[in-house]
Amino acid sequence: MKNHERLLRDQTRRHFFRNCGLGVGSAALQQLLATDGWAGYRPRIDPAVPMASRSAPESPRVKNVIYLFMAGGPSQLELFEDKPALRQYHGQAPPKSLMQGKRFAFLKGTETLLGSGRKFGRYGRSGMSLSELFPHHRKIVDEVCWLRGMTTDVFNHGPAKLFMNTGFQAPGRPAMGAWATYGLGSEASDMPGFVVLQSGPRGPRAGSSLWSSGFLPTSFQGVPFRGKGDPILHLRSPEGLTRNRERAFYDVVGALNQERLAETGDPEILTRLNAYEMAFRMQTSAPELMEISAEPARTLESYGVTPGQPSFGANCVLARRLVERGVRFVQLYHTNWDSHGGPGENLNQDFETVCRDVDQASAALVLDLKERGMLEDTLVIWGGEFGRTPMGEVRDTVGRDHHIDAFTLWVAGGGTKPGLIHGATDDLGFGVIDGRVHVHDLHATILHLLGFDHEQLTYRFQGRDFRLTDVHGRVVREILT
Amino acid sequence: MMVSAKSALRTAAATLAVFTVWGGQQTSAAAEPAIDFNRDIRPILSNNCFQCHGPDSAEREADLRLDSFAGATSDLGGYAGVAPGDPDASELLRRVTSTDPGDVMPPPKSKKPRLSEVQTAMLRRWIESGAPYVGHWAFAPLSKAEPPQTEEPWVRNGIDHFILAQLQAKGIPPSPEAGREVLLRRVCLDLTGLPPGSEQRERFLADERPDAWERLVEELLRSPHYGERWGRHWLDQARYADSDGYAIDGERQMWPYRDWVIRALNEDMPFDRFTIEQLAGDLLPQPTRGQLAATAFQRNTLINEEGGSDPEQFRVEAVVDRTNTTGAVWLGLTLGCAQCHTHKFDPVTQREYYEFFAFFNNSTDRNNRGATLSVRQGDLLGEARDEPAVEQEAPGQQGRKANPLRGAVPLMIMQELEKPRETFLLTRGDFTRPDRELGPLRPGVPSAVPPALPESEAPATRLDLARWLVDPENPLTPRVTVNRVWMRFFGRGLVETEEDLGTQSSYPSHPELLDWLSGQFIAGGWSMKSLHRLIVNSATYRQSSLVRPDLNEIDPRNVLLARQARLRVEGEIARDAALLSSGLLSPEIGGPSVRPPQPDGVYAFTQRAKNWKADTGPDRYRRGLYTFFYRSAPYPLFTTFDAPDFQTVCTRRARSNTPLQALTMANDPAFMECAQALAGRMAESSAALPEQVRFGFVATQGRAPGAREAELLIRYAEEQAESFGAEPEAGMALLDEKLRASELAPERAAALVCVARALFNTDSFITRE
Repeated sequence: MKNHERLLRDQTRRHFFRNCGLGVGSAALQQLLATDGWAGYRPRIDPAVPMASRSAPESPRVKNVIYLFMAGGPSQLELFEDKPALRQYHGQAPPKSLMQGKRFAFLKGTETLLGSGRKFGRYGRSGMSLSELFPHHRKIVDEVCWLRGMTTDVFNHGPAKLFMNTGFQAPGRPAMGAWATYGLGSEASDMPGFVVLQSGPRGPRAGSSLWSSGFLPTSFQGVPFRGKGDPILHLRSPEGLTRNRERAFYDVVGALNQERLAETGDPEILTRLNAYEMAFRMQTSAPELMEISAEPARTLESYGVTPGQPSFGANCVLARRLVERGVRFVQLYHTNWDSHGGPGENLNQDFETVCRDVDQASAALVLDLKERGMLEDTLVIWGGEFGRTPMGEVRDTVGRDHHIDAFTLWVAGGGTKPGLIHGATDDLGFGVIDGRVHVHDLHATILHLLGFDHEQLTYRFQGRDFRLTDVHGRVVREILT
Repeated sequence: MMVSAKSALRTAAATLAVFTVWGGQQTSAAAEPAIDFNRDIRPILSNNCFQCHGPDSAEREADLRLDSFAGATSDLGGYAGVAPGDPDASELLRRVTSTDPGDVMPPPKSKKPRLSEVQTAMLRRWIESGAPYVGHWAFAPLSKAEPPQTEEPWVRNGIDHFILAQLQAKGIPPSPEAGREVLLRRVCLDLTGLPPGSEQRERFLADERPDAWERLVEELLRSPHYGERWGRHWLDQARYADSDGYAIDGERQMWPYRDWVIRALNEDMPFDRFTIEQLAGDLLPQPTRGQLAATAFQRNTLINEEGGSDPEQFRVEAVVDRTNTTGAVWLGLTLGCAQCHTHKFDPVTQREYYEFFAFFNNSTDRNNRGATLSVRQGDLLGEARDEPAVEQEAPGQQGRKANPLRGAVPLMIMQELEKPRETFLLTRGDFTRPDRELGPLRPGVPSAVPPALPESEAPATRLDLARWLVDPENPLTPRVTVNRVWMRFFGRGLVETEEDLGTQSSYPSHPELLDWLSGQFIAGGWSMKSLHRLIVNSATYRQSSLVRPDLNEIDPRNVLLARQARLRVEGEIARDAALLSSGLLSPEIGGPSVRPPQPDGVYAFTQRAKNWKADTGPDRYRRGLYTFFYRSAPYPLFTTFDAPDFQTVCTRRARSNTPLQALTMANDPAFMECAQALAGRMAESSAALPEQVRFGFVATQGRAPGAREAELLIRYAEEQAESFGAEPEAGMALLDEKLRASELAPERAAALVCVARALFNTDSFITRE
């Protein structure tokens, strides 16, 4: 780095830190008092490299997060919750006392209880019940921590997905991954810090607002990688431009920008120089990342993956590869779990298909991470935006409606108790009777594992200090080692 | 409880009316500047105390409120929070300096840091001086202060007096005027969003008349592209988009409203009328078609067509959004905070929130149903706008997807219910929990913001609200509006938190300038163009933007404006600029939104694939603001450059600087197409490489290249030409048909494409300097 650059950069840093409240000169004080007084913890961000890795304020348990998002809301009653009472009262109206004050998306009030036709068994040291649809999950029963008492506030897909991702039902707030990279940056120097992958027949409802940076700087927004073609939009150079020619291009652009930097002294140009160099590196690192055929056949087999075919399994392999490269937060969306009983959405073959899509690879990912010693530093989360009702919903076939009062989600990895079953629901699966974990609590726990007090990690916007958990949230200490 | 909160507020408002003075702005010769309540004390109290000792009675602790003199000094049983003149008898000071964890304020459980010594010293001096409370500055009437008369030839108009007075107080000289080329590109981008064309540039650089600048400004203010540039800023606030949002995100036809905005700005429709027509055009006597179309501003709300949605829920969501948007756009208040509870910081109670909400709660629309107006293309750009809306075209209660008249589209507009809907306070903001005990609420405005609505028998309407917003006695609307306009020209408002002028706002850097400009704006008949003219003709605006090392310590953030700012342009403008410099731009104004090419796979992440058949004709090259905008999958270029997704009001876009922007500028085929076209123009300009490079440089950077810049590019071009000479197919791949057909050797043409591409990728191409 040339001297004037270093000087400039140091100046940038100094100004930035001054604005964070250090070394306040008397002249700047009035300004600070008006804009500061920020409650809580504010990460020190180098404006020239906003994604530079930074340490957490408290001792973190994990470095990275992989969130397997089961879009549409998987039925806990077909997968994790064996309810003999539902089979016993199958076809009967649900007890009035349980229905009072409840709102559902589609149910008309005349629906009856639906016992699951799936066979369940008990597995692992904990005796966790798993249905026949998730045979591979038997291998990880003692590796993951089961949260049976999940609850959320909203029952339409879009708002519920936003709530699960951003802690708020309407668009406009930062996603969890944005909060994580805002707080920690990322250890990947040639990759975005927050990456989103997608599989299944369609995209998740609410689209890009699920991985938005909201009011946080856009450097922290999730970057969707595509399963087909180039993983990132515009990653590939125009035809005819080889790597050598591109090096010359980035060099001449860099030199022109250096000229302007010397002329104007604007530190923003330094950020631009860094951004262009990272873009150049991503052009090789991203395709290399996507080359999963480089994995040993045994690994691909364990995930059930055929190279060249986009799938949830392939995305699980990519998730591991991303985390290996230091990417902070990886989120996989898989559709379609919305089993209402309509076309493509029945609880029979359609549900079996989507189970097959994810069962093997989800389990393989946990085992693969464990085998590589990465599970200690990585938190894996598996779950949807809500669960399904104990009542059936009759359309073309029988399905279940959205249920927000009790559903199952699992977590695995550093700092969580492997093999623990946390929480329980009543005999019919209507509500949580023990170990309730609200979405805000899950968020508080994730931030805790990353080394943050969820009440402290804040960002000031529109005159207020915002948090992922708003004014709620409790760290679920019962599930932590 | 609600009643007592209300009466407490009236007290606060009365306090406000008594103290209309500004805090001491003049820096006296005294050693310590006087304490100014709003600048020095309110932020300390607001950030550290108001959450528990502020306006929200539900959260109030120890029956103490510190947001008013009466509250702070009230007897707490032999002692008081604040004893005016006697710091040692003031519980507030004892608590904030206490070292006992059980006593200290803010309490450890709030996790707020201890007050600094500087802060406690300020509180002490403030109490010593009698603990004067001054109403929040933004709610006070506009100051009538005239510009301080500074005697410097530098000064060009009133703005400069205010700026210079503060600079001189700190001993800082302003920056010299920027060079003519930089100035030209700056003002063209600011007023029209397009860089100067070559003809315009030559004309201006050759114009030696003393008023060449003023003539240029007038030319730009008359340009039809002015309305596009400033229309885009307004459309951000109007959360304008071409689709419904949420899961289904179906198409809607809102572009006639966009055209209405462009035309209103081009005609310099006074801002008060601009406000009234958009908020209540349907309630004007015998509204014209244009006035009805203007109300589409409010129908830019989201619609959820997901199965199982409760239409009432999304009707209420839309009303909430209208309430919050109006609060943000005109009042600069975060009213949304009071949706679930009384505002923690600002004097807006939850009840007042729903009284404001009540203005919007009487419209006929309900999620995907509602009134529409049949509009044909060009209607709102032509005479038809001002025709009265005839009987058979009066909005009907039809589905918005109903078959429109041939060639016309149904524009969603506002329409009032014949029998007003009752509005209740919604407990915790939940639409299923109306507070029936409290009873129905009448529409009303927050009592802290003057003036009061006139008393009337009939409930106030949206029209009354709109008129109240632009009442010259309302100090917020002009301050908020002027501040945002200032932000567009300097990168930051005089109040930095332009979205929030409430008590959590940052204090204005130049309060009297803000008020003077507000006064000028109103006195000038709310003319936007007059305001813009005043700003761009100032010496302050015309300064150089070079960073000054001498300011590093004194004013690192350039708050005092001793220089201009370098600002990255928006994604739309980056593309517009590339289209213009390459000669591809189609300058047509208005009409249905267009679909320029976009990369495959944009919809891999949306629930429903969208109809995106790329346009082939001139519509491929229209300005960015005409690009069809799907809320769930926006045009990627725009998102990459921080365009919001228009789910809610956006008053200020971020300016990030990321590798994805680099990849877009370098590899997006749309920019490559521009690079090819520009290379064609470079080739036509001359047969000599140095001249060709110079042509491209001027076309993209708006200035002649420096010696080193020219040298770098010429060498790059020669190296590339040589490289393509050795591999002709690679060079051919970079050429469009026109370049292939040209007489230029293919390797030289390919090298020019490379140069053009490099020019688009410089920092200064996407920066307004």
